[in-house]
Amino acid sequence: MAKSKRAKKERRSAGRIKTPETQFLGELASQESAKYRLAQGFGVLFAVSLILQAWALANVFSDMALYQSFSLPLLAIGLFALLLRALSNFGRERICTSASRHIRYGLRSNLVSHLTKLGPARLRIEEDAALSTRVYEQVDALDDFFSRYKPQVFMVTLIPCVILLSVVSISWIAFFVFMMTAPLVIIFMIFVGHKAAQANRRQFSVLAMLSNQFMDLSQGLSELKRLNRTDEARARLSDSSGAYQKTTMNVLILAFLSTATLELFASLSIAMIALYLGLGLLEILPWQVGSSPVTLTQAMFLLLLAPEFYLPLRQLGNDYHAKQKAEAAATDLLEVLNTHIHELMADENEQPTQSASKTKADSGSFIYFDHLSWSEASRYRLAPISGEIAQGERVWLSGESGVGKSSLLHLLLGFEEDYQGQLFVKKQSFQNIDLAAWRSKLAWLPQTPEWVNGSICRNLLLGLESREGFQAPSEEDIQLALQKSQCDDFIQALPAGLETKLTELGSGLSGGQMQRLSIARALLSQADVWLLDEPCSGLDTDTAQAVLSTLEQVSQGKTLLIVSHDTHPIAWADKHWSLTQGGLHEQDQNKQAVA
Amino acid sequence: MSKIKTNKLSLKGLLFANPWGFIIPLLTGVAASLAGVALLGISGWFISAAGLASAVGAALVFNYLTPGAIVRGMAILRTAGRYGEQVSAHNHLLGLLRVLRLWVWDQRVAKDAANLHEQSRGDLLQRLVSDLDQIIRWPLVVFLPWVYAFFSYAAVSVLAYFILPVLLWPLAVAAVLHTVVVPYFCGYAASHAVHVGQILGVHRRSRFVSLFSALITLTIRGHWQDYALRLDQLDERQRKTEIKIQQAVSLGRLLSYAVTILLLLCSFYLVSDVQSETGHWMLVEGVQGTWFVGFVLSLLAVNELVLPLVQSFVAQGQSQVGLRRLNQLHQEVIPQPVMADKAIQSIGFKRWRGFHASSNMGNQPIDLQINSGDLIWIRGASGSGKSTLLAAIAGDCLSSGDALINGEKQDLYGNQDYQDKISYLPQSPYIFQQSIAANLRLGKPDATDEELWSVLDSVSLGDWARNLPNDLATLLSSQGRNLSGGQRKRLALARLLLRESSVLLLDEPFDGLDKATIERICESLKNDYKPEILILVSHVESSLADDSKIVEL
Repeated sequence: MAKSKRAKKERRSAGRIKTPETQFLGELASQESAKYRLAQGFGVLFAVSLILQAWALANVFSDMALYQSFSLPLLAIGLFALLLRALSNFGRERICTSASRHIRYGLRSNLVSHLTKLGPARLRIEEDAALSTRVYEQVDALDDFFSRYKPQVFMVTLIPCVILLSVVSISWIAFFVFMMTAPLVIIFMIFVGHKAAQANRRQFSVLAMLSNQFMDLSQGLSELKRLNRTDEARARLSDSSGAYQKTTMNVLILAFLSTATLELFASLSIAMIALYLGLGLLEILPWQVGSSPVTLTQAMFLLLLAPEFYLPLRQLGNDYHAKQKAEAAATDLLEVLNTHIHELMADENEQPTQSASKTKADSGSFIYFDHLSWSEASRYRLAPISGEIAQGERVWLSGESGVGKSSLLHLLLGFEEDYQGQLFVKKQSFQNIDLAAWRSKLAWLPQTPEWVNGSICRNLLLGLESREGFQAPSEEDIQLALQKSQCDDFIQALPAGLETKLTELGSGLSGGQMQRLSIARALLSQADVWLLDEPCSGLDTDTAQAVLSTLEQVSQGKTLLIVSHDTHPIAWADKHWSLTQGGLHEQDQNKQAVA
Repeated sequence: MSKIKTNKLSLKGLLFANPWGFIIPLLTGVAASLAGVALLGISGWFISAAGLASAVGAALVFNYLTPGAIVRGMAILRTAGRYGEQVSAHNHLLGLLRVLRLWVWDQRVAKDAANLHEQSRGDLLQRLVSDLDQIIRWPLVVFLPWVYAFFSYAAVSVLAYFILPVLLWPLAVAAVLHTVVVPYFCGYAASHAVHVGQILGVHRRSRFVSLFSALITLTIRGHWQDYALRLDQLDERQRKTEIKIQQAVSLGRLLSYAVTILLLLCSFYLVSDVQSETGHWMLVEGVQGTWFVGFVLSLLAVNELVLPLVQSFVAQGQSQVGLRRLNQLHQEVIPQPVMADKAIQSIGFKRWRGFHASSNMGNQPIDLQINSGDLIWIRGASGSGKSTLLAAIAGDCLSSGDALINGEKQDLYGNQDYQDKISYLPQSPYIFQQSIAANLRLGKPDATDEELWSVLDSVSLGDWARNLPNDLATLLSSQGRNLSGGQRKRLALARLLLRESSVLLLDEPFDGLDKATIERICESLKNDYKPEILILVSHVESSLADDSKIVEL
């Protein structure tokens, strides 16, 4: 498998055809290939009406110039062709925007479900606020690519070809002018566009930095106000905005230069053709004095087509930044999507060894793990450990930060699937258990409790709505849980009681009170297994002790694994594990409890 | 620019924020547009005139050099003008972006401390990124194309007047239809969708952030699907508004084309008469066929210029929604209470109570007199409002009762003069994503490296900093996440100590620290960095307690 992957990689780098981004965008576009084909059909209609319009109007114009009259049917054909052009453009636009919508909205719901599956691992990619930018803004940044650039690529080949075909029989010179300038235009576009693309990428990172700086300063604003340094911060923002303006202008000067060269070529060749036609009609071309290479009708026809020849190229040049924008966005989106794929593949690799060693497990304990480890990028996030937890046992896990305490909890939550070694729950290999059923037994109390924007009541009942086999907690249940977790006093003191709003950033409740609320929530869920990740780390010692003693009372009879620093010892735990890079060591808990 | 700083934003204000920066793109853009129209018109005339000249045998006297030069000149002017317009317009926009960002910052600064976090991160980010984008697009998408269309119509009118004055009528009607009626119609059709779309965008993002902040809880409860479904529904509604907007724009383009076609029909009708015997349409007396060809060709060029206008009213709606949302951040500048510029000698409180507006929670009212040289230790059970009281004393939290500074009654909340004289260490201080040195120098901008080292040593962070690869220049990550809670707090304390203010308010400075470190900090507070007045909230015993006045809550 690894071999074939390497081979694939080699083939790719040898061919150097596609970056992962273009491949990704190409795959997305192929989902809507039927629509794009239809759009191409409209494109053909557009090209035909273009020629028809030029032909009809050229006749009308030459008649008017020469005879001061025109034929009504030809005028009607010309205007009808113009209408046809507008209609086919309309159709093309509608189809392409709808294709782009399908692609983007599909991709977005994929992304959201990916992120959900990643669980806490998503935070390794980025914070939630920044992830939301990827899911919304970055996905929408693909719009121009799918609705404009992609269909335009086809038009760029179609229209010049059609025009060349219709011109070749009329004038060789015009044909050659078109033939000569078109490749030049393309070469210039690629040359300058490439430079601009490089600069553009740099640009994106500068912009992200700028937003980050603003958010950083804004979050620490109260600190700055207290230090009376808001003006300095303003100056910093102003400086970095100024620097951003400068770098952006450097990018834009290049980017616009690419379109300007295009325009210049287009304009000059239109002018050249016009001059050639004019001189030709006057019969004073140096190599053809006395005879005209074209009739006035033909000349008009060529003149009307000349701008149209360059128009799609110019539009593509204008939309070229859409491609760059989409590729930059694709890089970010791929990072999200690939995080997941990587883990699934690693999981497949592990499966055979897992099932082979399954028979070895004969422990009767509730949770049992043997040489369990988890590594990422050849670095241990969790060094191999062995241990077991009996049902109803309360275990205190301590250790230095970064040693993998949280990783163990994430494993038990079922969010990290590519672990090595063995993990059994009730004698069943963790990979074979019904994850949903296992999770429904869990209560999760992290360092900063998880809250949604909404009332306290809504947060307590988060995810506890009535469903099959589960009754939503009643009013009495809530009161009981609040009593047990000692929340009732401070909630009664709140003017709005249970309806008090909680926001992401708290609501004037203290850290200890918030932790108590999350204990109440855990109680309401009637979970048997409680996983706690440093629930007291943000609290002062008194508050922490109070919260821990509440925890002791309410968690009796539950299986509990609590991660806590030595500064907040869990005296009532049945077992104390200390986790180091060398493995798991059981400490003598009794001795400590006595002391 | 100073006007923008304090006032509410308006599109007009933005346009005139930097008028000179705006005139260059405007002029170059108008020149480029006119050159583009003229290029087609003159070439059309040139060729038909040349054809006519050779047909009537006057080819030798036909002056082909001047029109030829004009055609080439127009081609170059169009390109150069377009380039100049793009570059200068974007330069102007980026300048605008800077002004707007600073405006947002100023509004944030003007907000009072208790309501500073009213906006969630996601919401602020949305305003900062997408709303600003919508607004700065305005001149480029709405204003400039409109001006170009107007001037090109004006130029074509001049031509029309020379050909046949009656042509001005359909031209005027078409101009109104193109520049006002059709865009307005589209804007009207899309305006509801634009507004709903923007509101949905905000709603969707805050729901996303809110749900993902509770992701694990929701997932283990097996209820994520239901919540995700609602996110999907929001997305679906967003999609519908998008369809509506796109429909309006596409339809508007079609209408614009229709107007052009009708205009061409009318023009042809007006300049010609049907010959009853041949059935041919002849141009009326006095109309030159060659000129009329030029006229028709320039109309086709104008058509290309008016097509983008369709989006303009939609964009106008979007800009206005963005502007309105940004203006929600607007803060009236609160007049600052004035305070005598004198060191704080004494602080007195009568029935003083600090509380949070949202929960009305706080401490029981207290009476307290603090004089220079005092060390106050506030103690109390968890939830007794120690931190709230301290925050209220620091002027960061709402309060009731009277505060007397040097015997004078003062309003402490948000009082900048007062806050300049004190230093307050909150429970969770903020560390910026800057170097250690830059973080420290926020306390004293002109501090030397020696001063920084000595203050770091005084909070026992000196050795830690010396072991870092770039010592003082080490960059601290987002919210100081590579620091432990204790380190973060000590770093913030070091920053405060550098200010050397006479009043120091510390909220749980010793939490999570070992005995030796606590002792080291106490020593510093008693010697090198001794304030005149120290108010301490702590549940940890320390040697500072020996000579302190204890306030039990």
